[in-house]
Amino acid sequence: MSDNNKKWFSLNLNFSSKQKSSSDSCGCGKTTGGCNSSTDNDVSHEEFLDAAVNASIGEERRKDGFEQVFDVKMDRRTAFKKLTASLMIGAGAVSTSCSMIAGEETKEKAQIDWEEQFKGNYKLMTDEEKQGTVDRLVRSYQLRTGKNISMSSKNAEEDVLFGYAFNISKCKGYMDCVNACVEENNQDRDSQMQYIRIHEMKEGKGFNFNEADDNYYHEVPAEGHFYMGTQCFHCDNPPCVEVCPVQATWREDDGLVVIDYDWCVGCRYCMAACPYDGRRFNWSKPEVPEEEVNKNQHYLGNRMRKKGVMEKCTFCVQRSRAGQNPACVEACPTGARIFGNLLDPESTIRWVLENKKVFRLKEDLGTEPKFWYFMD
Amino acid sequence: MSKYILSTKYWSLILCISILYSCKNHEDEYHSIHDKIEAKSKDYKGTSISSDSYIDHVKTVEITEGNHTFLIPERKSQLQSYACMECHTKPLSEMQKNNELYKKAHWNISLNHANENIMNCITCHNGKNMDKLHSLTGNQIDFNNSYVLCSQCHTKQFDDWKGGAHGKRIGSWAPPRASLTCVNCHDPHKPHIESRWPARFNTEKVKERK
Repeated sequence: MSDNNKKWFSLNLNFSSKQKSSSDSCGCGKTTGGCNSSTDNDVSHEEFLDAAVNASIGEERRKDGFEQVFDVKMDRRTAFKKLTASLMIGAGAVSTSCSMIAGEETKEKAQIDWEEQFKGNYKLMTDEEKQGTVDRLVRSYQLRTGKNISMSSKNAEEDVLFGYAFNISKCKGYMDCVNACVEENNQDRDSQMQYIRIHEMKEGKGFNFNEADDNYYHEVPAEGHFYMGTQCFHCDNPPCVEVCPVQATWREDDGLVVIDYDWCVGCRYCMAACPYDGRRFNWSKPEVPEEEVNKNQHYLGNRMRKKGVMEKCTFCVQRSRAGQNPACVEACPTGARIFGNLLDPESTIRWVLENKKVFRLKEDLGTEPKFWYFMD
Repeated sequence: MSKYILSTKYWSLILCISILYSCKNHEDEYHSIHDKIEAKSKDYKGTSISSDSYIDHVKTVEITEGNHTFLIPERKSQLQSYACMECHTKPLSEMQKNNELYKKAHWNISLNHANENIMNCITCHNGKNMDKLHSLTGNQIDFNNSYVLCSQCHTKQFDDWKGGAHGKRIGSWAPPRASLTCVNCHDPHKPHIESRWPARFNTEKVKERK
């Protein structure tokens, strides 16, 4: 693999950039050390750091996909564990694919499972690889259920940065958004997991989440109360992304914070790191009745999840990247939810930000959520 | 000595540049999301995404108010008994004279909007030409532009609606913008929206929090 093909995870130690700047700008032509430094054995801090990083995880910085899985230094115990697990899958795949009795479909299924097991991180995939995994998932669904779905791997569009505004004066707590979200995003029906929470708050008490009720059931709007919704705020500086030990979650170029459900190990660090309670965990296998499955899917969005992975609001990536409003925006009967492109100076979201008195939750944390609240 | 001075110069240059670079190379180039929006939208060229396919199920008309030009749903074709002239052949005052000759019409409409000092039927409807509405000063207003009537009193809501802070977008966030107009949500004869029950109740949450 060529070195300039930057597909690996690089530790952001500000190292390479510093060295480059000094070598570029230095008049003496030396690429290392200072201009008048002798070529002695002094090791600079950066060089030491680099050497240390190289010695510990150097090779892994240059690997992807198969190499990442197969070409790793590990102790005997881990090696045996991995080998056994892979052997089980492998043996299954080999036995079915070589078997004379197994049908073509079973063989294909095994082949898909094999390739899916060893695919790389979606973030590192080329467009062809993304299309490949999406095609496999569609075919796999077809083989298992006999039904066709459409799944997209559409990338972020240029000149698009998604933002959201929420009108506290207009929200009346009808919860139509929650219903629409559950249906659109194929959320588990049994556990009643919901991305959106609507908080009923007493007027005159401000934003007091301790006394707010997010599971009311009475005629709304209730007198003396106001309503505000929370969900994933798609922070521009997302703490959930920082803490993920396997880089299964990241911020896309159009601002969406997304999860690769196939890369997530379910450690729930991100859930703990999110100051807004925006992330959800699948404690059980998500089940959606076949006739209710939304078949318009995106790899990073509403495709079917597994047990033990994180999920959250994606601003309906399957809809928003195609130009449609997210399901919650479309379902809201009051017009309290406004969605749009922050980079378009003519967009309605920009008008709201520039002309209404907007604020965000916990702004002092520096998470830079792209979700603004405002009042009439 | 001069060599020494030269090298200090170099050093300070290197220091400056490396500080500059290290700031630039920080994960986020921008101090805040607002800086990012401002910087990145400077040379905004538009996107390939269009709202066309999401709004083509609605018949729309284009309006321009102030700096805002956008689409709103066409109204007249949605009105059941338009054109009104089909029944209102004579001015209202004449038709009301021989009341017993005609069947009672619009019996289901009662005005519940402001009080009787401020509004009655003819505040908006034009008794002489029922096919048009009229403003407070008597100017004719087309049924498709009924928002002009509302804007006579509800100026703040009108400003918010023009900008996009009030009301609802149709279908898509992308341009061209299509938004619902006043009467698509508010019944002009009875603009108050009744309270109702929430769409769902989370029974699992109740169990979890016991």
